[in-house]
Amino acid sequence: MAIKVDYVLRETGTNLFRNFTITLASVLTVFVSLILVGSSLLLRQGVEKATRRWEGGIEFIIFIKPDATQEEVAALQRELEESPEIESFTFVDQEQAYEEFKQMFSEQPEMVESVEPSVLPPSFRVVPVDKRAVSVESLSKQFADRPGVEDVVSATKTIRQVQELSQRFTFIIVVVAVVLLGAALLLILNTIRMAMYARRHEIEVMKLVGATNWFIRVPFMLEGLVEGMVGAALAIIALVFFSPVIQGWLPPPTEFPLFSGFIPGGAELLGTCILMGITGCVVGALGAGVAVTRFLDV
Amino acid sequence: MIKLENVTKVYKGDVTALRNASVDIQKGEFVFLVGASGSGKSTFLRLLTKEEQPTEGRIFVAGKDLGELSHWKVPFLRRNIGCIFQDFKLLSNRTVAENVAFALEVIGRPRHVVQSQVPAILDLVGLGDKAANFPHELSGGEQQRVSIARAFVNRPLILLADEPTGNLDPATSVGIMRLLDRINKTGTTVVMATHDRGIVDTMRRRVIELDRGEIIRDQARGVYE
Repeated sequence: MAIKVDYVLRETGTNLFRNFTITLASVLTVFVSLILVGSSLLLRQGVEKATRRWEGGIEFIIFIKPDATQEEVAALQRELEESPEIESFTFVDQEQAYEEFKQMFSEQPEMVESVEPSVLPPSFRVVPVDKRAVSVESLSKQFADRPGVEDVVSATKTIRQVQELSQRFTFIIVVVAVVLLGAALLLILNTIRMAMYARRHEIEVMKLVGATNWFIRVPFMLEGLVEGMVGAALAIIALVFFSPVIQGWLPPPTEFPLFSGFIPGGAELLGTCILMGITGCVVGALGAGVAVTRFLDV
Repeated sequence: MIKLENVTKVYKGDVTALRNASVDIQKGEFVFLVGASGSGKSTFLRLLTKEEQPTEGRIFVAGKDLGELSHWKVPFLRRNIGCIFQDFKLLSNRTVAENVAFALEVIGRPRHVVQSQVPAILDLVGLGDKAANFPHELSGGEQQRVSIARAFVNRPLILLADEPTGNLDPATSVGIMRLLDRINKTGTTVVMATHDRGIVDTMRRRVIELDRGEIIRDQARGVYE
């Protein structure tokens, strides 16, 4: 049986505006929770991007002069392999270094353009056995004066703190967001339950004259879906609109390179927005689905 | 058209509403269902629309075994059955015409069908000039006519009436019964639960009497008692 589109749209519209305040509450709850989910995701991605080369326990990096000889590099590698104080290490050549650079400065194409793989130093990323700051410091100094070594940089306290903070911060935000999403789901469920109660006489007559179950259900299900979608759309708009504003508060990347990664790239923003949209729709549809199966006895 | 084979209905808490009832109603019959309140008349009617399931026994309506009828096909069964009630069940926020049109719209009838059928059925029940009125602007008898129009607009094979004259005065009731009689003459099977002695005794149709869930009388051209 064909369900008339104009009927479904009209009914859904009426339902949405009948309990407007409750509808608004559902939409706003979805909006707030998705804003939290979205911004914490972006923050997390930003921190990960900014501290990518320090992942996996890497405590210091040995940068090699671009013009170092093969023998000098081989000697360094041998020393790293033989040293009992070193747990593991990886070699990052100029091409890989360039890829990493491009990612870090993906929001500043003029910087990427001004750099070529040949000017970037290859490096060894080193994971020491003993991770205490003092021993890392003395170990890294050993390599500073080896032939072919340009510089040795160890993970600063700041980087570690930023990583830790962002982890705790995202955890808290995600917990709050999940609770709020649960609240949004219950609110949507109740909005639809109220809509069904307001229309109980219509529903009774519909069953009486032989309207199909789906014909009765669809407007209510759409109502939930629309609430979730509108909430998600508002959150996405807010996030897209405010993320440049927040960027403006941060110091420019040239002054403080660590923050360059905090600026979410286009791809990351798009991915986050898609995830928010899906979450909103799922919450809306789920709330409506539960309401329809639990309270609409057809 | 309607057939009950040894039907028993026991509600939760061991309330037996219908006990081992067997009835065969032919197409085009007019049947009165009589008996005291709680004798099982409403349960009888609700079983026919599959609003209730029998605890035991089998029910056939319009050639279909209701026990075999899957859940999603029930709405299509109900399109063959018109129902009217003591309290009319009209939608107060819709006009007379809209109430009748609603019944066609929600089963997906196209607009031109709705537009031609609704005035025709309202003329048939004698309410052609009240199409734009709201239910509360009508008398009880007129409201019942609207509900009959709604039940009959889809030309069902069966019309079930649960005390349709229960809220109406005797003179108005006669008008309603004339209308039901006319509908019956078009070949529609009518089953009507009633307490109205006068109506049953005047019309002299088949009477099925229920007492505490048991059929104690099934009489052609019968009287109330």
